Order: sequence, then structure tokens, then C-alpha cells
Amino acid sequence: MASVKIPEQKVILVGDFGIGKSSLFRRFMCDTFINSSDRKATLGLDHYSKTFHVNNRNINLQLFDTGGMERIASVTSSYYKFAEAAILVFSVDNAQSFHSLSQHLVDITMWAESAKIFLCGNRIDLDSEVSDLDMQQFCEQCHGLISATFKTSCKTNEGVKEMFEEIAKSLVENNRSRLELQALESHGFKVHPPEENVDSCAC
Amino acid sequence: MDEEYDAIVLGTGLKECILSGMLSVSGKKVLHIDRNTYYGGDTASITPLEELFSKFKQENPGEKYGRGRDWNVDLIPKFLMANGLLVKLLIHTGVTRYLEFKSIEGSYVYKQGKIAKVPVDQKEALASDLMGMFEKRRFRNFLIYVQDFKEDDPKSWKDFDPMTQNMTTLYAKFGLDTNTQDFTGHALALHRDDDYLGEPAVNTIRRIKLYSDSLARYGKSPYLYPMYGLGELPQGFARLSAIYGGTYMLDKPIDEIVFEGGRVVGVRSGAEVAKCKQVYCDPSYVPDKVRKVGKVIRCICLMDHPIANTKDALSTQIIIPQKQVGRRSDIYVSLISYTHQVSAKGWFIGMVSTTVETDNPENEIKPGLDLLGSVAQKFVSISDYYEPTDKGLESQIFISQSYDATTHFETTCLDVLDIFKRGTGEDFDFSKIKQELGDEEQ
Repeated sequence: MASVKIPEQKVILVGDFGIGKSSLFRRFMCDTFINSSDRKATLGLDHYSKTFHVNNRNINLQLFDTGGMERIASVTSSYYKFAEAAILVFSVDNAQSFHSLSQHLVDITMWAESAKIFLCGNRIDLDSEVSDLDMQQFCEQCHGLISATFKTSCKTNEGVKEMFEEIAKSLVENNRSRLELQALESHGFKVHPPEENVDSCAC
Repeated sequence: MDEEYDAIVLGTGLKECILSGMLSVSGKKVLHIDRNTYYGGDTASITPLEELFSKFKQENPGEKYGRGRDWNVDLIPKFLMANGLLVKLLIHTGVTRYLEFKSIEGSYVYKQGKIAKVPVDQKEALASDLMGMFEKRRFRNFLIYVQDFKEDDPKSWKDFDPMTQNMTTLYAKFGLDTNTQDFTGHALALHRDDDYLGEPAVNTIRRIKLYSDSLARYGKSPYLYPMYGLGELPQGFARLSAIYGGTYMLDKPIDEIVFEGGRVVGVRSGAEVAKCKQVYCDPSYVPDKVRKVGKVIRCICLMDHPIANTKDALSTQIIIPQKQVGRRSDIYVSLISYTHQVSAKGWFIGMVSTTVETDNPENEIKPGLDLLGSVAQKFVSISDYYEPTDKGLESQIFISQSYDATTHFETTCLDVLDIFKRGTGEDFDFSKIKQELGDEEQ
């Protein structure tokens, strides 16, 4: 039984609380938008996989949302582990969320060293406090750490699809050789339920 | 913080994080607080390495050990049994998706100054140099009996009542000598001491089955270890709790647990009080509600080589049964390395731990340290082992036990499931966790 394994790439959303990460996640997952952030809608759901077809190759983006941990405490370091890409999100109508990007960037480089980093200015349907020049300067200060920048609106759906497609493309190109190399290395594995499902564990 | 919660959980150690996750999943409104700035409490993996040196008040090691942040050092060494309770909890809660594991390469037992592979099936039993020829046959018969044993089929019990007759009787039935009993009870059934000999044999049979079922899952050994260290486990469960609505606060000192009429009603930090119906916490948050029942010594060793006679395994577990070294409790030796992303390239972390029996605990672990060989740096910690003074049914404050010296998480999970049952009055219902909407792993 030969089945072609589609490479799975973990992509994480990073940024301040309440700037639209979960909205991006929801757009990615089911292409909907909820106005008053009704968190219950995504309760228990924090990651979603979607297959992209790029240059004759399939790639799975597995997008992870923070689960709201950053509201008061910090996100766990394990959230970042194994991430192949990180989307640094801020809200263009909230300058503070732009200013805290550098701290989030430090976290990414600390815990997800090899992740490609993308910058996303969200809520472009609202009045902007952060200019394109600001974004450009930020990228320059980051010495090429940022692979690409995007501007999105989850409300109008502008730029969202394009962003994820672009990220998928970039990961395919980037990982071509790495994925092949990885196949040779010994890797960790996930734990799964036993094959024969006689397990009626009620413990 | 000034809100009302169903439960407030204090401390983000593994037990508290599992509880927090289970409570949130069960629909409870949970506030989870830690006084530290990081997740994991005693079950965190310390990173970078400089942090470990300063924790043990040692001078900064400089460049000697490679890059400091390549290190994630556990303070409490443990492995997961591949078919054990924690793996079941990880799978049922979906927390497994945040983690990756590797098998521990070798499982050894100590006999008369040397180590030997733990024999688990008939073939290995016959090849093992732990026993003489006749003893091998008897041990093989014993293994076959255990393998064929079915709890619900008395025919497979073969004229023996495992529910009432004890383990000594079962050993006698197969004529196993004390040496074989020693590694069976301690390296296969993973008992900490010899109390099991007088208990119903079924407990030990179950544990041997757990060992061999675990071995069958991923080969090499029955043990698993998560990449980046054990500290990933509490974080995974904390995330589970958060995505089911749990609120997290770190770096928040707890000044008082507030009672009314002997019942907990809230938790105070500074001038803020969070109201709640229940509190779940580790012993460090309630020093007046726990009693000290013993001490555990743990020694962390940084090494630049694997353990001798383990075929250069990058990860190993060695059990030194108590009787071999004239003790009442076993000594556990474990080794993990850069292959698990817990140390810089070329480095190993050896751990020796046991329950303290004398006034000179460091001397007690010497047989374990001798097995490790040369050590670049040693960190010794001796911690008190606490258990709650009551079950919390009146006060509604549920306290976990400290982490014991065992090398796996079975006792950890039993404590968690017991606390959950006391707190909620019901067994944890695994079916309450939503099915994945998206991907199916594998």
C-alpha cells in the first residue's frame, strides 16, 4: 500500500491578544468571520490543516492558534516548537500591537529557530495607525529575518487567501531540499492509539 | 482576576496541568495560576543551561557545554511507558499533537556490579546472562504464564488465584530464585520496594503485561521520552486547558487561600480575590495541609559520553534492585542526550535517583554514579516528599502528592485520576473531548 505522504508544515500565529489571530485562524479553517469575538465558536479547536497545491507539489499547512493564553500569561514555549513558519500578526489600527512585535520576534527566534517568519498587518478595513513605511522599516531593522509582509482584513477577507497561498509556496521552495534531507535523519514520532482498537479504556 | 470560577488551580506542574485540562474539557471555568514566571513548576525543563547552574548556585560555565539554550534539563527524571496511563491521557486529550517522542534505546538491570539487558520475551529469557540454564527455563515458563494470563478467563489462571494469593506464592509455583524474583519485580514490574511480594499477584502480573505491551508498541524499550524534555508535557496540557477556555496567570504570588466555614471560597493575591468553589494545587501552596512522608534524592550529571556496556545507547534506563545493593528501595539511573534536544551536540544528561533511607543520601546513590562513569558536572537535590493530610472532600481543596522516585508516570497519573474523581465525584469522561474537525494524524 503505497501512499504519498504530504509534508506537514506547522505554522503558528504570533502577536498580542485581541488583534485578530483567531479571526485569521477562522478564515483559514472555514472562511467565515464572526463579528463579536464569540470565542466559544472555536473552543477546543486550536489547529487546522489544509492542503495547498504549489508547483506540482502538495503541502499541508497546519495552522496553530494560541488558544488565548497570551491574554494574561505568556504563550508556552512548546507552542513554538517544531514550527516551520510563524506569522507575526499586528493590527494596523493598534500601534501598540505593532510596537510589541520585536518581543514576539525574540520569542520566535528563541523557540523556533528555523521557522520562516512572515509579517501580517491585519484589520486593514479600519483606519491605519501603522504605515507601510513603518512596516518596511521594521523589516529592515530585523536584518532580513522577515521573509515577506502581508496586509489582510478578516472582515472583508482581503488578502487572507493570498497570504496563506504565498506562505505555502515559500515553504515548498524553502523545504524542498530540507524535506529530502530530513527523510534521512532519525526523527521523533507521535504517539497514536494502538492499531487494534480493542482499547475500551475508562481510566 | 476578580471573577468567580468553578475551580482555581495553583501551580503548573504536570499533575496540576493535567487536572486543569481535564476540568476545562469537562466544562468547568478554570483559573490557573503559577507563582513562577514559567510553566511547569518542579516538572519544568530548565533552559538555558546557565539557568540550571544559577539554580544550583554554581558559577556560569561559559562555553564549555556548547550553546546554553540547546539544553533543556529536567529536574525530575521520568519516562513514559509506551502503553501506560500518561500516553492514554495524551492520546485521548489530543495533547499528543503538540509533542514528538523518541524511544529509549535500552532497558537494563543491575546484577552483582554489572548491567544486563532486561529480558522480556521467551527468546530473550533464554539468551540472558542473568540466570543459569535451569533458571532460564523456569523464568521462560513464568513469562509464558503471564503472557497467556487473562483476568477475565479463570482458566488461564491455571489453579492459582491471583486475586487472593500473593506474588511470593506465584514465584514459588514456578520455582524462581530470589535473583530472578529481584529483576522480575523491580525491572519488569517496576515495583519500588518488596512490599508487592505479600500483595495479590494480579497487580504484578498487570505490571509485567504493561511492560511487555509497552515494549511491543515502539520496540527497543518500553519507555518513551518527549523531544525538548519533560517540560513539554505540562505545557501541552496547559494549552489544552486554555483552548477549552481556561485562563492562565503566571508570575502571580498567592498570599492566601480564603476559607469560609471550613470550605474554600477563593484565592487572594495582593488585594485581589478570585472566588471559586474548589482549589486544586501542589503541596508547595499549602504547607499546613500536607505532611512530609520521605525524601527523594536526585542527581543530575552532565556527561560527554554514553554509559559503558550499553552499546553506546544515546538513551538508557538502568534499574538497580534494592537487594543488589543492600537497600529497601531501588536506585534508578537514566540517560538522555542531544538526540532528544535536551543537550548540546555530543552531550548527555545522566540522572540517578532514589528514595532516601539514610543520613548520607549522596552515598546512597554511589552505585548509580559508578555506572555513569566520568561526569563533567553534578547537581544534587534532595527534596521532601509530601502528601495531603486529608482528601479534601470537606474543604474542597485537592492537593497532589509530590513526585516520587519512580522512573515513569504511572503513579503520577493514578494520583491525578484519583484527585479528579474526588473533586468532581466522577471518573474522567474521555468522550467529552471534541473530535478533530480537521486533520487526522497518521
